[in-house]
Amino acid sequence: MEKKIGVYICEGCSIADAINTEKLEKGVRNIPVKRHKALCSPEGVEVIRNDMKNDGINTLVIAACSPRVKYDVFDFPGSIVERVNIRELVAWTLEPKDELTQAAAEDYLKMGIVKVQKSDLPEPWVQETVKTILVIGGGVTGLTASLEAAKAGYKVYLVEKEPELGGFARRLYKQVSRTYPYQLTEPTVGALIKEVESHPNIQVFKASKVIKTDGQPGMWDVTIQTNGKEETIRIGAIVLAAGWKPYDATKLEHLGYGRIRDVVTNIEFEEMAKKGRLIRPSDGKEIKRVVFVQCAGSRDPEHLPYCSAYCCGASLKQAKYVRELDDDSVAVIVYKDIRTPGQYEFFYKEVQNDPGIMLTKGEVTGVYEENGKIYVEADQTLFMGDKIRVEADLVVLAIGMVPATRESQEYLEGLRLASLQGDEAKKAYIEQTPKPEFILNLNYRQGPEIPPFIEGGSYGFADSNFICFQYETRRTGIYAAGCVRQPMTIAEAQDDAAGAALKAIQAVEHVAKGIAVHPRAWDMTYPDPLLLRCTACKRCTEECPFGAIDEDEKGIPYYKPNRCRRCATCLGACPERIVSFKDYSVDMISSMIKSIDVPEDGLMMLAFVCENDAYPAFDTAGINRLKLPPNLRVIPLRCLGSMNLVWIADALSRGIDGAILFGCKFGEDYQCHFVKGSELANYRLGKVQETLGRLQLESERVRMVQLSIADYNKLPEIINEFVEKINELGPNPYKGF
Amino acid sequence: MAQIIEPDLNFVKEVIKAGGKDLKKCYQCSTCTAVCNVTQESRPFPRKEMLYAQWGLKDKLFSNPDIWLCHQCSDCTAYCPRGAKPGEVLGAIRKLAIAEHSWPGFLGKLVGSPLYLVFLLLVPVIILLIGANGNPLNPDSIPRGEDGSIVYAKYMPVNTVIDPIFISAALFAIVSFVIGVKRYWNTLKSSGLEPVNQSLFKTLSNTIKEILLHKQFTKCNVTKTRTYAHLLTFYAFVGLFITTTWALIYLYGYEIFGIQPFGIFHFGESPYPLYDPVKILGNVSALALITGITLVVLFRLLNAPRAGIGSYFDWLLIAVIYVIAVTGILSEVFRLLNIASLAYPVYFIHLTFVFFLFAYAPFSKMAHMVYRTVAMVFARHHGIVSRDLNMVRQAS
Repeated sequence: MEKKIGVYICEGCSIADAINTEKLEKGVRNIPVKRHKALCSPEGVEVIRNDMKNDGINTLVIAACSPRVKYDVFDFPGSIVERVNIRELVAWTLEPKDELTQAAAEDYLKMGIVKVQKSDLPEPWVQETVKTILVIGGGVTGLTASLEAAKAGYKVYLVEKEPELGGFARRLYKQVSRTYPYQLTEPTVGALIKEVESHPNIQVFKASKVIKTDGQPGMWDVTIQTNGKEETIRIGAIVLAAGWKPYDATKLEHLGYGRIRDVVTNIEFEEMAKKGRLIRPSDGKEIKRVVFVQCAGSRDPEHLPYCSAYCCGASLKQAKYVRELDDDSVAVIVYKDIRTPGQYEFFYKEVQNDPGIMLTKGEVTGVYEENGKIYVEADQTLFMGDKIRVEADLVVLAIGMVPATRESQEYLEGLRLASLQGDEAKKAYIEQTPKPEFILNLNYRQGPEIPPFIEGGSYGFADSNFICFQYETRRTGIYAAGCVRQPMTIAEAQDDAAGAALKAIQAVEHVAKGIAVHPRAWDMTYPDPLLLRCTACKRCTEECPFGAIDEDEKGIPYYKPNRCRRCATCLGACPERIVSFKDYSVDMISSMIKSIDVPEDGLMMLAFVCENDAYPAFDTAGINRLKLPPNLRVIPLRCLGSMNLVWIADALSRGIDGAILFGCKFGEDYQCHFVKGSELANYRLGKVQETLGRLQLESERVRMVQLSIADYNKLPEIINEFVEKINELGPNPYKGF
Repeated sequence: MAQIIEPDLNFVKEVIKAGGKDLKKCYQCSTCTAVCNVTQESRPFPRKEMLYAQWGLKDKLFSNPDIWLCHQCSDCTAYCPRGAKPGEVLGAIRKLAIAEHSWPGFLGKLVGSPLYLVFLLLVPVIILLIGANGNPLNPDSIPRGEDGSIVYAKYMPVNTVIDPIFISAALFAIVSFVIGVKRYWNTLKSSGLEPVNQSLFKTLSNTIKEILLHKQFTKCNVTKTRTYAHLLTFYAFVGLFITTTWALIYLYGYEIFGIQPFGIFHFGESPYPLYDPVKILGNVSALALITGITLVVLFRLLNAPRAGIGSYFDWLLIAVIYVIAVTGILSEVFRLLNIASLAYPVYFIHLTFVFFLFAYAPFSKMAHMVYRTVAMVFARHHGIVSRDLNMVRQAS
């Protein structure tokens, strides 16, 4: 489109008290500029609209508050809108009416104008997409997700590998009630199954597997295999509800499993109850004294280090099975803690009232047989901390959950590590290691399953590990729900399923319009590489956190835009700088840097700030009127992963004395909204030290800081410390060149 | 070495029935132990007692003097976040401990259950009806004094009826207590605690001193006012005990040793004039008793929302003492007012209930006077003393 730029400067919110807005207006050449006392008011917006109508202004540079606020007010579809932040970044954090403050405002305005000069209006990548949803897994989670999506009007395909729907919930004898009087009820999954099987929007594939998932969200070709027959369906979004398996009890020999016939797992015990055979497996005698060992192989660094959420409630329920059969029987429960989340706490209170159910905290140190009797020994008990020994007719081990994705995750991680050691090692690994059953079978260059969010994995769970990103995975359009994502109870799994179904619906709707999903769920741009200059170095295909880029036979990247989250990590990775978006490119940021007025005397620093956690921290510092040094220029980036090292070269060659990168936290408690962005930036910084060396510049001139929005109060300290360091190093020797 | 734990479901049910019905609500948070001011520091109560009771570990509960160191302040009950009422649970365990150790055992069960109350009362009723001189509902059938006044000794002869019956009852109670205490001391010894280096006599006298001063009562928070109610009732009983002994000295001093009345001391047969010290002591004690027991009832009712209402076992003793106090005073009043139609029946009831109190003392809550003392002596003798409140206050 033919751009006609208009600049609008707001004077409200104390901006005019800190900046000479008239001087700012006068500093803009060849572009119409207007000032207003309160640009976000209806009158202010009216001024802009009039200009758009009468003068054909279609590219707006609004110098006012942060782009994170008033976006609904400054919403002009069909126009390019650039928000220059002279409020939080200048008026609220710098010294009012100071010449350095004025210089900062002028620089930001210049950068904003340069930015729109280098931007274009995005045109969404709209294809012919479908809005169908595939649900993998027919347990409580999958059934609920299917129903939720179906009731909202979407066509659902439910794939279940067993011949019957219901998952583990179908194998229950009784279920815990979450309503008064908190007794045992009939399992509720039967009603769910009936509803699913009779719903017109849901097509069920039983005894089936997904053997290939090809394509991208909105346009996947999923091949489902049932008894040797194959069918390929077009799918819009996927809900992964593949569930769990019990931990292998044969590894719990120290608790008597395998050694003693009358030691069973809680899964086996439930089956015994369902068959009506609650008797000792060894001699068929009745059970007068059952001992439940909680956390059997759970919360244990040698087995499963985590808690499996369902087992305390399950043991309390199973204790009731024994008590209801025989009023003279006794159930003993040895626990590390009793964890009955939410409404299940009422059930726990109810079960506690039963005189025949006895509980003690303790660490079970051994289960053994002596003179034909079974004994359970526990230490650090409530009996004044002493070690105790209780006789048992039957011992039930409360076994933890292992997600269905664990085997494939472990296999693929092993394969990756072997590949790092060369082709020979890789070949040997493939030959020697038994290949597990894959669930998604993605035809993606980065691998057939969902990679874990952090290196080393999250114990095999397909989990996002961060409460803001529930259901998210590292594959766009695929949402994990239920126990495959985190151990949980039936109640929690149903809530989870509804959430994941909603995310899947959001995905199909957005993709149909060519809009991105979380976290840039408004973005209509998409990566458009200049493949002419591509050298097939493969950095983009490997570094993309979401596997959005496949490769053709020659190794040239092949973008699948609907898989893309628009983080621009590929833009930062590409050494040839061929990747760009309509409103975000390497040239654009380079031009912005070059437009900064670097004084001959005095220091100038750049801050590359990611839009997810770091930029809000700056905003919050502004809201709290914290003072920042005036010789810092903030360049907002989509993600620190989009940091291209050429910008450092550009900055230093212009005489800028230092650059500090602010990104979200990475590592085990990561917060990076694009998973790998800040981690990659950190890794790339290591490379830039080399470049600095060649330029005879100190490596301390460039630094990276991990910042969360809660750390806003540390910003003045961090920046001032950096300024001090640069002061020590002295000005950039290239200044003035 | 691992402790062998044998849970006993029947005992759990017994504790629940005996007054600890909310026992199972306890989830071992230990708030009760934190607020208890009479517990000892090294092996504090009542958390572990709640655990033992939940598991039915009878031996661990009975062999532990802690259950009697507890004075049922009910601070624990007031602060328990789950409403498990540990104070009431320990009260129930004490009742079961009495029933377990007292001799003969069947009487312990009878006294503890409301079903048998009528039968237990029938025993003294029948005995007294047999020994009485006449029908209490027909005052004319009862011989009067020389001036036509009511003389209770003519209705119930002292040498042949009252003394044999009541002294037998007292002797029975004493024998039963001795056997019970011996059994209980053995149970306590099985706890394996080590005695400290002090003579048993010294321990006993220190314990008695503590009891006389009602020191433990003052440590309570929720039921602090009980101190006065119990103090009054306790010393009323002491006064009445002295009065009875004094009357016996008057009678048998006169009959056996031929001591003649002199001054205000009316050696001889009852009734005695009101200005005789024995009557003064008796009347003052009676007033103290009625006041004390009324306060007991009043404070129990006032504290009930926080401290719990108590069990049948508790209220039975309170009722018996109340009836004794009221009928005792009324017997004297009606005698002095010469209302024979009321005097004799009231006196009959008085005697019935006094017998009930004496004869069943080893099995009713009255037994606490012996068992608690024994437990306190045992505890002190084995180095178990209540936490020092001054240290507790300094720390908080």
